[in-house]
Amino acid sequence: MSVTPAVQVKSLVKEFKGSFGQGRIRAVDKVSFEIAPGEVYGLIGPNGSGKSTTMKALLGLVSPSEGSCAIFGRDSTKVDSRQDVGFLPENPYFYKHLSGEETIRFYGKLCGMKGKALRDRSRELLSLVGLENARSRRLGGYSKGMLQRIGLAQALVQDPRLLILDEPTAGVDPIGSRQIRDLIFKLKDRGFTVFLCSHLLEQVQEVCDRVGIIHKGALVKEGPLEDLIAIEDQTEVILRNATPGLLDKIRELTRQEEGVELLRTGNSRTTLERLFLRETMQRNQRYPEEAGSESAGNPEVQGGGYS
Amino acid sequence: MSQTSSATPLISLSRIWIIAGNTFTHLVRMKIFYFLLIFVLIWLGLNVFKLPYNAGPESLSGVGGEELRILKAPLVGTMKLFALIIGIVATALLIPRDMEDRTLYTLLAKPVPRLDYLLGKLIGVLLLVFSGLLVMTLLLDGVVWVRTQAILIEFDKVSQILVEQGQWTQDDRLAERAELLSHGVTWSLQGAILILFFEAAIIAALALLISTFSSSTLFTVVISVLTYFIGNFIADGLDQLQGSSSPGEGNIGMLAVKAIFVAVPDYRPFKIVDEVLTGQTLPPDILGSLAISTVLYVGLYVILSWFVFSRKEI
Repeated sequence: MSVTPAVQVKSLVKEFKGSFGQGRIRAVDKVSFEIAPGEVYGLIGPNGSGKSTTMKALLGLVSPSEGSCAIFGRDSTKVDSRQDVGFLPENPYFYKHLSGEETIRFYGKLCGMKGKALRDRSRELLSLVGLENARSRRLGGYSKGMLQRIGLAQALVQDPRLLILDEPTAGVDPIGSRQIRDLIFKLKDRGFTVFLCSHLLEQVQEVCDRVGIIHKGALVKEGPLEDLIAIEDQTEVILRNATPGLLDKIRELTRQEEGVELLRTGNSRTTLERLFLRETMQRNQRYPEEAGSESAGNPEVQGGGYS
Repeated sequence: MSQTSSATPLISLSRIWIIAGNTFTHLVRMKIFYFLLIFVLIWLGLNVFKLPYNAGPESLSGVGGEELRILKAPLVGTMKLFALIIGIVATALLIPRDMEDRTLYTLLAKPVPRLDYLLGKLIGVLLLVFSGLLVMTLLLDGVVWVRTQAILIEFDKVSQILVEQGQWTQDDRLAERAELLSHGVTWSLQGAILILFFEAAIIAALALLISTFSSSTLFTVVISVLTYFIGNFIADGLDQLQGSSSPGEGNIGMLAVKAIFVAVPDYRPFKIVDEVLTGQTLPPDILGSLAISTVLYVGLYVILSWFVFSRKEI
C-alpha cells in the first residue's frame, strides 16, 4: 500500500493580475513536487521566485490558477486540510495585547482544544521553545527571536503532522537563529514533516533531506540533498583508519585503470550554496535581459551574499 | 502527532466566540478607545453639572419635560456618536491590520473558515459597542432619574398649590405628572438606545464589507461615513419627494432613491429615536420591525463580505 504524501503539489500554476496594461504575471509555473511523511524539505530560490506563493497555495491562502495542492491527501483549498498543518509566516506579528501563554491558548482554542489538555499543551510548548520565563509577558515586549519562537509554538499547538516554515530565521540574531535550527532538529527527530523556505542555505543544507530550487516560478532542480550536491563524475571513497600503504595501493590500482584518476582524498562535494548560485546564475547568463530586471534588487543573485 | 480526520464545520459558534472575545479584548486594550471613553465620560459629567435644578413654575410639565429633553438629547447624541465611530473605525481597522501584520496568515492557516473569522471580528466590535452603550445607558438613566426626581418634588409642590387654587383639577394634575414622567427614565428611552445599537450594527457590517475589498483603513472609514450621510440625506430627500407637487418627477426621483437604498441602508425608520427623546412612546412593534430590518441588513452585508473575502487572495 502506498503512503499518502504529506505534501503533494501537482503542476501548480499561479497567475496574478498585472498592473494596468501588463496582462497577467505568472508567479508559479507548473511546479510539481511531493514531500513524504517525516521528511524535511527545503524550497530555496531568489526573492520573487515564487516560494511564498507556493506555500500560500498549499495553505489555501491563494487559489491555484491551474494544478492542485494537497496536504495528506486533502485538497488545500478545503479548510479540513489545515487540521494537519502548522504555519509560521515570515516575520510574523501576533496580537501584542496577548501574553505568550495566551497566544498559544488562543490558537489552540481555534483548533478546538480546551481545558486541561490545552493548558498542558501550552506549558509543553513554552518549554519546548524556551519561553517559560516569558509566558506572562505581553508579546509587545518580545524580541524578534522570541516572536519567532512563539510563532513556532502556535504552529505546533494542535500537534500537526506537517509544519510549514517561511524564512523561520529571518531577522533573527545568530544565537536565536541557532535555537530555531535546533528546534527544527528536535521536530525532525520526533517525526514531523517540515516544509521550509529559507535564504540561509547552510541551514537548509544542515536540516533538509530533500531540496527544491525554484527560479522565476519554475522548479529548476529537485531531489535528495545528497544527490544534488554530489559531483556526478566523481566518486568519493571514505575510509576509516586507512594506512599510507593502503592509500598507495589505491593510487596504484587507479593508475592501472584507463581514464580513472585519483584527484584527492577528502570531501569532494560542492555546497548547497554553490549549487544554488550555479542554477540561478546560469539561467541569468542565458537570459540576461530578464536577469537584469530581477537581480537589480536581489543582492543574493548578484553574488554579494554567497561565495 | 495527531491524526485528525473530522470535517471542519462551515460555522462553529465556539470558534466565532473565541475570535469575537479576542477582538473585543484587542479593542478594549487599544488606548484610543480608552481616550474616547474618557472623553464621553467628561462630556456626560459636564452635562450633569452645568444645568441648574429648577423650581417653581419651571417644574410644571411643559418646562420640566423640556429640561429633561434638553438633558437627554446631547447625552443620547454623544452615545450615538460613540456607537457609530466605534462601529466604523474599529471594523475598518481590524482586517487590514491583521493582513499587514500577517496575523491573518496564522489564523487562516488553522482550520478556521473565513466566514467564522468575519463573524468573529464583527461580533467582537458589536460586543464593544454594546458594552459601551450599556455603561453609558446606566449613566444616562442615573442622571435622568436624579433630575426627574428633583423636578417631580417641585412639580408636586407647585401642582398641589394650583389644585388648591382651583386652576387645575386633580385629573389635570395626574395627566401633567404622567406627561412629565414620560420624559424621564422609560422603556421607550431604553428602546431608543437599543435602536442606536441597531444602527451601529448595520454600519459596522457595511464597514466590514468595504474592508474586505478596500486596500486601506482610511478608504473604509471614509466610504462608510459617506454611506451613512447618503443614507440620511436620501431619506430626507425621499420625504420631500413624497410631498412633491409634480407626480411624474416625484415618481422618477422615488425610483432613483429606492435604487440607491439597495446599496445604502435606509436610515429613515431609525429617526424614531428623535421622537422618543421628545417624550413619545416607542411602540414595541416598531422596535421589533427595526430589529428585523437590522438582522436583514447585517445578514446581507455579512453574506456579501463572505462572498468577497472567500475569494480574496491573501
